[in-house]
Amino acid sequence: MLLEYLGASDWLISLAGMAVAASTVVGVFAGAFALLSLIERKTLARVQNRIGPNRAGWFGILQPVADGIKMLTKEDIVPAKAEKWLHLLAPILIVVPAILALGVIPYGREWIPVPLETGLLFFFSIGAMTELAIFMAGWASGSKFPMLGAMRAISQMVSYELPLMISALAVVMMTGSLSLPEIVNQQSGFHFGFIPSWNLFTPWGLMAGLLFYTCSIAEANRCPFDLPEGESEIVAGHMTEYSGFKYALFFMGEYLGLFAISGLGITLFLGGWQAPLPGLDIIPSWAWFFAKLAVVIFTYLWVRATFPRVRIDQLMRFAWLCMIPMALLTLPAAAIWHYAGRGMMGWLFTFPLLALPWIAMAVFYNRRFAPATRIYRFAE
Amino acid sequence: MIAILILAPLILLAALGAVWKARPVHAALLLALALALNAMLYLAMGADFIGLVQFMVYVGAVAVLIVFSLLITRPGDEKAELDRRPGSVVTGLACTLPLLVSLCFMISRLPEIGADAHPFSGFSIEELGLTLYSTHAPAVIAVGVMLTAVMIGAALFARDIGGKSKPPSE
Amino acid sequence: MMNPLALLLTLSSILFTLGLFAVLTRRNAILILVGIELMLNSANINFIAFWRYGPVDVDATGPLFLLFSIAIAAAEAAVGLAIILMVFRHTRSTDLNKLDSLHG
Repeated sequence: MLLEYLGASDWLISLAGMAVAASTVVGVFAGAFALLSLIERKTLARVQNRIGPNRAGWFGILQPVADGIKMLTKEDIVPAKAEKWLHLLAPILIVVPAILALGVIPYGREWIPVPLETGLLFFFSIGAMTELAIFMAGWASGSKFPMLGAMRAISQMVSYELPLMISALAVVMMTGSLSLPEIVNQQSGFHFGFIPSWNLFTPWGLMAGLLFYTCSIAEANRCPFDLPEGESEIVAGHMTEYSGFKYALFFMGEYLGLFAISGLGITLFLGGWQAPLPGLDIIPSWAWFFAKLAVVIFTYLWVRATFPRVRIDQLMRFAWLCMIPMALLTLPAAAIWHYAGRGMMGWLFTFPLLALPWIAMAVFYNRRFAPATRIYRFAE
Repeated sequence: MIAILILAPLILLAALGAVWKARPVHAALLLALALALNAMLYLAMGADFIGLVQFMVYVGAVAVLIVFSLLITRPGDEKAELDRRPGSVVTGLACTLPLLVSLCFMISRLPEIGADAHPFSGFSIEELGLTLYSTHAPAVIAVGVMLTAVMIGAALFARDIGGKSKPPSE
Repeated sequence: MMNPLALLLTLSSILFTLGLFAVLTRRNAILILVGIELMLNSANINFIAFWRYGPVDVDATGPLFLLFSIAIAAAEAAVGLAIILMVFRHTRSTDLNKLDSLHG
């Protein structure tokens, strides 16, 4: 049980173990956050044919340090109309659930900070706190743009949480467990000797994985779903009235949340710490996990550099008319896959079940909602 | 037991704030706090699954819903929202205090049960799921139908039919 | 030393009373819903208390019942808020004292 850890007879040992695990997780991911902030800028610069930060240190490697010093030494401004306590509490409440969520992800064969029986449920219920924290940030700032940003953020996160959870539910149905290490263990082994039996390589897993990826972009408030902080529209959304260290905390919470949700995606669909090919088990399991994490994070950067921001009505319509029906469809698909023997017959039955509605939906929505052809009135 | 002793006053304080605070948003946030502490109480009592579900549903959904609708229905004049009729407090106390006293009286007449009358046997989530989908399957289906009906009904209610509503600020 | 069952029952009855007080005194419809949530929640505490510290050993009936109770409470909140939004759309107010057009 969750709190029996404290009451255990060798409570000191378990407490020390937890402290070590917690500080490792926080340390590693804080470092990764610093690194990612640089890599993101470098990658975006490369995509956009720029050079990116290159002044501080070799290839700008000290840029995160410089940013950190700048953030820490800035004046901490609290607007006169702000609710002081909530204004202070919001950035903390954004970082805490992200760190807690990182604690239940299995990083390697024996590397899991807190092996909970209800790991997946814990992840989602802790993640639910973020919405309230964003609301507090927006409301406590006492001005218009943060309020608008918070309203956008809440409606977006509530809408995209549904398909996110339903697509994770398909995995739970197939595994029969809410425990994340158990989910990873079930994905061991290989088909035909070389295709890893990850959940992604099944029809329902492919669908659920795609949905999960899209929703995780929206949950992490990243481009193309970064309306809550769309710079060109509402300054910085709920972060507008924050400065200095609190602003840095928001950024940290966002990146830690990104790590957590992509770690969960890897655990659910990409086999967690499992090696992708049979002979590669000699490389330690945690290295595979972090390699997969790096690849997934890179795709986030790539998406950010490629797609333009969507409009709020497009965002909501996409969630309710496309994502949620498709996510609901993965549940019967997973059930049929199970009863058709989880093999070739499963592909035969479930693939059309998923592909045909997908195509029908694409055709229908293209007719119904396609934007009118743009007329360049002033460009000729 | 110690966890209950620590959490119970905190829950009461948060709930009192939710009931008494004049500003609606404060009241809603304190309600969220009370419900979250409640979830921790369940965790402390060994009902992990229920505690997490409580946290997810109440903090993640109900509190967010309440807060969001508070934002949508902000009245033009905040002042009107702040006051509570002085008479209503008296009426409220007159109605609730006898209830509280009688409830406490009944609790005090509770037959004496030791701290652990029966050996506490936890449950695994698998057991819970199996019971839920075998013995209680009709109830699960009924709840599912009800939730679907509620979702459709709430969407229909909240829909702006034909854009008839007045503009937000007049 | 109180036994935990009595303690939890006291907690839940005070919570219920607080919820009822909010329902009776608040004027904003959404804050009345807050009171209702508190009352529902106090009932939930009773389920868990009797399951954990009650006189009879019953498997997981308390948590099972609680799952249904939480689902119904969430549904109630959703419908209640939808109705309040509807009312707000017509009257531009959530103050229940102003909704007296049937008063004559």
